Amino acid sequence: MKTMTYGEAIREGMCIRMREDKNVILFGEDVGAFGGCFGVTAGMFAEFGAERVRDTPISEGAIIGAAVGSAATGLKPLAELMFIDFLTVGMDQLVNQAAKMRYMFGGKISLPMVVRLPAGAGVGAAAQHSQSLESWLTHVPGLKVVYPSTPQDALGLMLSSIDDDNPVMYVEHKAMYAMKGEVASMDPIPLGKGDIKRAGKDVTIIATGKMVHEALSAAAALAGEGIEAEVLDPRTLFPLDKELIAQSIEKTHKVLIVTEECKRGAYSGEIAAIIAEDYFDLLDAPIARIGALNSPVPFSPGLEQYYLPNAKDISAAVKKIA
Amino acid sequence: MSSIGIIANPASGKDIRRLVSYATVIDNNEKVNIVKRIILAAQAFGVEKAYFMPDTFCIGYTVQEDLSREGVLTAGIEVLDMQLSASAADSTAATVMMESLGAGCILALGGDGTNRAVAAGIKKTPLIAVSTGTNNVYPAMLEGTVAGMAAAAVAGMEDPYAPCIHDKRIELAINGKDTDSALIDAALTEDLYAGTKAVWDISRIRCLVVSRCHPASIGFSAIAGCIDIVRDTDDWGLCLNFPEGESLPAGGKKILAPVAAGILTELTVSDCRRLNLEEEFVIKAGKPGMIALDGEREVQVREGDTLSFRLRRSGPWRVDVRKALEMAQKNGMYNR
Amino acid sequence: MKLTKEKLQDMYLRMRKIREFETKAMGLFAEGKIPGFVHLYLGEESAATGVCFCLRDDDFITSTHRGHGHIIAKGGDLKFMMAELFGKETGYCKGKGGSMHIADRTKGILGANGIVGAGHSIAAGAGLSISCRKTDQVCVCFFGDGSTNQGTFHESMNLASIWKLPVVFVCENNNYGISMSQARHQAIKDIADRAASYGVPGIAVDGNDVLAVYEAASEAIARARKGLGPTLIECKTYRQRGHFEGDAGAYKPPEEQKEWLEKDPIPRFVKFLTENGFSAKELEAIDASVGQEIAAAIKFAEDSPYPAVEKTVEDIYSDIIEEVRTR
Repeated sequence: MKTMTYGEAIREGMCIRMREDKNVILFGEDVGAFGGCFGVTAGMFAEFGAERVRDTPISEGAIIGAAVGSAATGLKPLAELMFIDFLTVGMDQLVNQAAKMRYMFGGKISLPMVVRLPAGAGVGAAAQHSQSLESWLTHVPGLKVVYPSTPQDALGLMLSSIDDDNPVMYVEHKAMYAMKGEVASMDPIPLGKGDIKRAGKDVTIIATGKMVHEALSAAAALAGEGIEAEVLDPRTLFPLDKELIAQSIEKTHKVLIVTEECKRGAYSGEIAAIIAEDYFDLLDAPIARIGALNSPVPFSPGLEQYYLPNAKDISAAVKKIA
Repeated sequence: MSSIGIIANPASGKDIRRLVSYATVIDNNEKVNIVKRIILAAQAFGVEKAYFMPDTFCIGYTVQEDLSREGVLTAGIEVLDMQLSASAADSTAATVMMESLGAGCILALGGDGTNRAVAAGIKKTPLIAVSTGTNNVYPAMLEGTVAGMAAAAVAGMEDPYAPCIHDKRIELAINGKDTDSALIDAALTEDLYAGTKAVWDISRIRCLVVSRCHPASIGFSAIAGCIDIVRDTDDWGLCLNFPEGESLPAGGKKILAPVAAGILTELTVSDCRRLNLEEEFVIKAGKPGMIALDGEREVQVREGDTLSFRLRRSGPWRVDVRKALEMAQKNGMYNR
Repeated sequence: MKLTKEKLQDMYLRMRKIREFETKAMGLFAEGKIPGFVHLYLGEESAATGVCFCLRDDDFITSTHRGHGHIIAKGGDLKFMMAELFGKETGYCKGKGGSMHIADRTKGILGANGIVGAGHSIAAGAGLSISCRKTDQVCVCFFGDGSTNQGTFHESMNLASIWKLPVVFVCENNNYGISMSQARHQAIKDIADRAASYGVPGIAVDGNDVLAVYEAASEAIARARKGLGPTLIECKTYRQRGHFEGDAGAYKPPEEQKEWLEKDPIPRFVKFLTENGFSAKELEAIDASVGQEIAAAIKFAEDSPYPAVEKTVEDIYSDIIEEVRTR
């Protein structure tokens, strides 16, 4: 058992596969000797060299496009976008190329590629460096989307993402890089398998990314008030572990979904719709949903905190349905 | 009224020699700049009208539009009304038109190839050849302002030929029929098609005729320039033969020659002899090939063709720019 | 450059195949047998042929919406191509891609592409892959004049130049970006000029002269194989048809169209061949074999079944078949 930060676990996952397979390479803006904007790739340049850990120009279209082209021709690229917000600049390469190539070509081309996407607010980075854009990605057939919330999950999901034969969007929350946690297993965590982060019988809180931790503190507070909340982290947004969600709701009959996205059009809406369509009979209360405000991410710390959902919001919402 | 003609070849300076050698890159926007300098200098010294060859990059119109917008254009600009073929034929046709319009001096911006096309149309108008091409011997690297001043000086001279040299030309006839001509060099190669036109595989050249040569130059004529010097004023040129294969024939010579920009090639010359003015150099083609004129594959040769190269002073009256401006200065062109 | 008779013959065969395939596709589209859009390569055959002639099967190409010519020149199978145009199960992409998305990984064809400018960065990626795997393959990126105004052109030329990737950028300047003539869509005439800003050699060639294209491409490809980095080759050519079938090309001046039809690459090459040892009979025999091959391809396409509707949700992922029910 090791203690690692979330950032170190992401790095460890990448390093394990890069040591095993020379066709796994990493590129992105300042990921080389500089070690990445958040220090996630520190030391990788020294270990793997300039050929396999490449600094790219500030050129997101070329980064994603080069990931597509190199994945189609024998490499397993790990592409880092410095911020998920910069996806807009490379969106054609992701949506029209990466996601569709296999399909358009009748299944004859595989794209084993991972795009790392630092997301989320809470660090005072304002509207263009703080967004949670997961639902843009889950909307597109052809992409897989993972979002680890702990160092253990970060490592295991990174291994599976690299092993996968499809484009995997690896969303990582930038405010969690320094968060420490136990890493008990160095094994891959299969995509599409959720995890119960805290067991409970009264209500299911489905949460992703950093919201898992807000949900856990809410659950701890609620326990003092006699409400046993179960915290379910899907870990992979697509493919989604519907089975685990069904099992949990079967037990609790109530569900709250929390993501850090602006609530309008958030992936929490898709999860809610799936539950309503498939498991309506299991429910004893309306599905509840929490997200960030429908606003660009504000800069001023007070505003940013107000914008974000937190444990108090979660507790209040749980009390309404539990 | 004093007028000049401007032939700016938009296609020069971007052929395969950028790939097979280290040739100069001049983009079309820089050609526009050069022409602006020419116009500004020429109009300052009395040129009232400038005729332009139309071209696909619209160099003439761009110059007119930009200089008008800046409020500095005083000369009239006229882009000739002619059908474009986007080939060397445009330069020839424009030259003929400019001469008939009475241009006092024609400026050609391009390489040896462009000037060859101009020479095909020019009869008596003094020519200033400004290099924007590749392995140039004929046109000089000239500042646009200087070229413009010289053009104005010549266009205003009583005897415009005073600062000019009547250039030599290599006239090619195949089976007795006049076919084409070159200003500097004509080479017989074993290539079978024109392709990208430029010749860079020197080992495929069998013979070479030059109208002039000097070691301080590059290209085919520079091969001759490694052995001898022939000036534009000399009444002779040179013929060179190259052996097939590596061995050095009796009387042959091994040299290292600057055959292209940045390309120094070792080659063997079997013999090199003088070709006097009006003298004919005749060869029978033993196999099919191409004749490169001023460095570009142009004319197809069939097995058994009789090729005749004749050196004549039938080229353009080329302005010696320094001499023209020295004369202009003495005549008070710069005085106000 | 030495070209044997066999090679010249093969060159002619490829050009003729493209010409005939496109001509037939034009008719079949008009008859309603081909759904969607088709963007024909008529008039540009020399460009794809001259370039692909220098490539091996393990070299890569990226292509465009006007991709049939590139695919044929790179060795694509006419039967599978035609079946794909028809939307048939036996097509290159099982009927899921159509005219704009034909790919053949076994021939290094990384796909035609419906997004203008998308191939550039995919080609840079293929170049990166070659460079990392340390082989002597190359990737040729075909694109049109219109796409050089996309950001990806700049991004990819830049990336390829800093990393010295073995990518040959081949611009087919056919004078039109859909309906916009080059003079209206960019303030330069020679796209080759743009190369200088990346420190890359840029050359312009007569794109309708297959031998000129071949010469330029072989030098550029040799350079790429040696690790000397990318080259930009601009082939000056012309789109004889509209942007897609159904576009009458009313924006093209008739004199311009006429002038370029006179520069048609195929009669031009035929003239060269007949002057260089090919008899009319030899060329006719090639034409006849091409005609037969294309007739067989059409028959194959017509006789093939359409894909079953359940296949709609396959091939999205390597390991997940989406539910058919959810819609």
